[in-house]
Amino acid sequence: MRALALTVIALSTILAPAIAVAQDAAELRRQIEQLQRQLQSVTERLQRLEAQPAPPASQPVPPAPGVPAPAPGAAAAPPPSSTLSAADLAQPRQPFSLYQQRGSGQLLFDIGLAGDFVGNITQRNVERAGGGTFSGQENRFFPREVELSLFGQIDPYASAVVRIEAGEEEPGQETGVTLAEAYLTLLTLPFGTQARIGQMRNRFGYSNEIHEHDLQWIDRPNVMRNFLGAEGLQEKGMELTLVPDLPFYIEALAGIFNGDNETAFGRGTLQHPLATGRLRTFFELGLEHGLQLGMSVASGQTDDRNRSTILGWEWRYKYRPDGWLHPLITLTGEALYSMRKANVGVDLDGDGTIDQVDKRQRNHSGWYTGLEVQPFRRWAGGVRYDWSQYPVNPGWEWAIEPYVTFWPSEFLRFRLAWKHTDRSTQTRDAFNLNGSSARNVDELLFQASFILGAHPAHPF
Amino acid sequence: MIGTLRGLLALALVALSVSTAAGADKIRVVTTIPDLKALTEEVGGKLVDVDALARGTQNAHELEIRPSLMLKLRRADILIENGLDLDSWADVAVQGANNPNIVRGAPGRIDVSRGVQVLEVPSTRVDRSMGDVHPLGNPHYSLDPGMAPIVTQNIVDALARVAPDRRAELERNRQSFLSRLDEAMTRWTRAMGPLKGAKVVVYHPQWIYLLNRFGLVQAATLEDRPGIPASPAHVTRVIRQMKDEQIKVLIVEPWNDVKLANRVAQEAGAKAVVLASMVGGVKGADSYIGAIDHNVNALVTAMK
Repeated sequence: MRALALTVIALSTILAPAIAVAQDAAELRRQIEQLQRQLQSVTERLQRLEAQPAPPASQPVPPAPGVPAPAPGAAAAPPPSSTLSAADLAQPRQPFSLYQQRGSGQLLFDIGLAGDFVGNITQRNVERAGGGTFSGQENRFFPREVELSLFGQIDPYASAVVRIEAGEEEPGQETGVTLAEAYLTLLTLPFGTQARIGQMRNRFGYSNEIHEHDLQWIDRPNVMRNFLGAEGLQEKGMELTLVPDLPFYIEALAGIFNGDNETAFGRGTLQHPLATGRLRTFFELGLEHGLQLGMSVASGQTDDRNRSTILGWEWRYKYRPDGWLHPLITLTGEALYSMRKANVGVDLDGDGTIDQVDKRQRNHSGWYTGLEVQPFRRWAGGVRYDWSQYPVNPGWEWAIEPYVTFWPSEFLRFRLAWKHTDRSTQTRDAFNLNGSSARNVDELLFQASFILGAHPAHPF
Repeated sequence: MIGTLRGLLALALVALSVSTAAGADKIRVVTTIPDLKALTEEVGGKLVDVDALARGTQNAHELEIRPSLMLKLRRADILIENGLDLDSWADVAVQGANNPNIVRGAPGRIDVSRGVQVLEVPSTRVDRSMGDVHPLGNPHYSLDPGMAPIVTQNIVDALARVAPDRRAELERNRQSFLSRLDEAMTRWTRAMGPLKGAKVVVYHPQWIYLLNRFGLVQAATLEDRPGIPASPAHVTRVIRQMKDEQIKVLIVEPWNDVKLANRVAQEAGAKAVVLASMVGGVKGADSYIGAIDHNVNALVTAMK
């Protein structure tokens, strides 16, 4: 019995620590498992947070009144650096989330989107003849231009602009997406020069450079559409500008392009390039008046290898009373003079067949001028008068277009216009399709435009 | 004929050399807004030749980019900008100036908002339904004289990059200006002391730095939202609020609709006060200290 008791005591003495150790181990295992669960939970939360875009910078506490400003030395301190690594930046993100984080320096360029919808109501005969302002889109409302713009600095030496455009060109067809512009500008060239390289709207005259949604009118002036096509002059190549260091402003521009514009040129090769030039100057007449004058030239070859040269003159005057947020009066105008040779078939013997093709000189011209009055910040009204011949065909047309513009805000605009066009009898054939005529055209035009995101300021 | 051409060429060269020599020894500085011009002149003294793109009576948010602005920038050694998206229009002017000294990233391009404690930085998602909001925060810090030490330090740093051997002189000018500003600040704080806690209505929300500095409270804005003109319903609400809370002053910018501000103030039994939103904005506000002097005096007088 005593031996049994001794054995029990001995076993208890031996096993007790082992049991205690086993209990400790179980406790430890339980704690480890708990920690693992917590770690897993934290890891999951972290992953979820990382997947979300970072919030904007938090609201700083305003300085208490009377509290002195931070010490001057604080100004020398560098701005807080971004905590994002290169790997973070490489992560795919939502573009608009990126835009919101611009303040943290995480988006390295600006994004803007402009929408431009236009509509028109006109006579049935004009629709059948396709002779309206928006040829082929008569009596329709359609997206003329929805434009995505990306722009910013490439590096310290250059900036870039890319504009991708979608619009309905033919009724019932799918909306096409095109590259409207993509160019870089070398900003740090010597002697007051800059170079723009890529695909661009040419700086030819005042209105050609301006996109549809930014125009002062619903439609491009007739002379610009007649001589340069519905889209205007939009070419691939390069432009060099020079702003000499003079007491007055003058900008000289020279450019070399393919010459793809089918209306005015169309040869489309650098072997016979389109050469452009422009001189622009500005007169500040006191604080309230500004006058910009310019002259442009574009010379290339047509697709039938004939020389085509267009001269342009531009003027733009603004009267902006001191302190006003908008100009009261804006007067704009351009004139073009086109000199080109055209192949003309000649029926020598009067049998109705072309016997030979002669090259004939065609010197034609056109102009427009527009007056806009903006007495209120949100309302403007104006009128534009157009007179234009055609580059090759005989005849001419004139048009008058009064309009009214309403801006609910800087980024939203509505415009309503009435346009009357009168074409000379010689032009009847050119607008006499499907047994109908578009010699006299009356159109009610309307436009709705908006801007999302960034949009650069407009030049004068 | 050749003689005439030679004469014209000589005349052009003389004009060019005169225009070049006029400021040959000075650092040619262009600032986007007149407040920064005034501060640069205080700091730069005789070392600088300063011009501003915007005038005091204009709205600095949306400036018309005339080629005459590009001409000012053409020969600039330094372009000083306010930053925080107030004067982002300067980029368009710079692009037309063909001056590599002042393009973004060049040593001659300086944003003096560096180090400024920016107010009204959005802490939630912002979009244009809130009006023409500034995603980087309220950019009108130059209206607070307490920010001048930081801004002038940034200006000294910028000028010293172009003329490192003149840093000591620039620092002396800055200290002299800050001493005068300190004296004026004592005066302003004393004058504004009794107004601490008083409520005001502002036309455009650009006065928060000035109001915070002197302990005034912005109760409402006459604009529906920043940059959005007031609707009749909003105007009615503001008038009712001014009456209910006995708000005596409506602050209006020289470029804004002063007539509407006067009408609203009259209906609410208050006064519309045109403050200098920038140096040169109102008569007599021709220097930085002068502009703050005007603003403080106008507020004190209106709230008596």
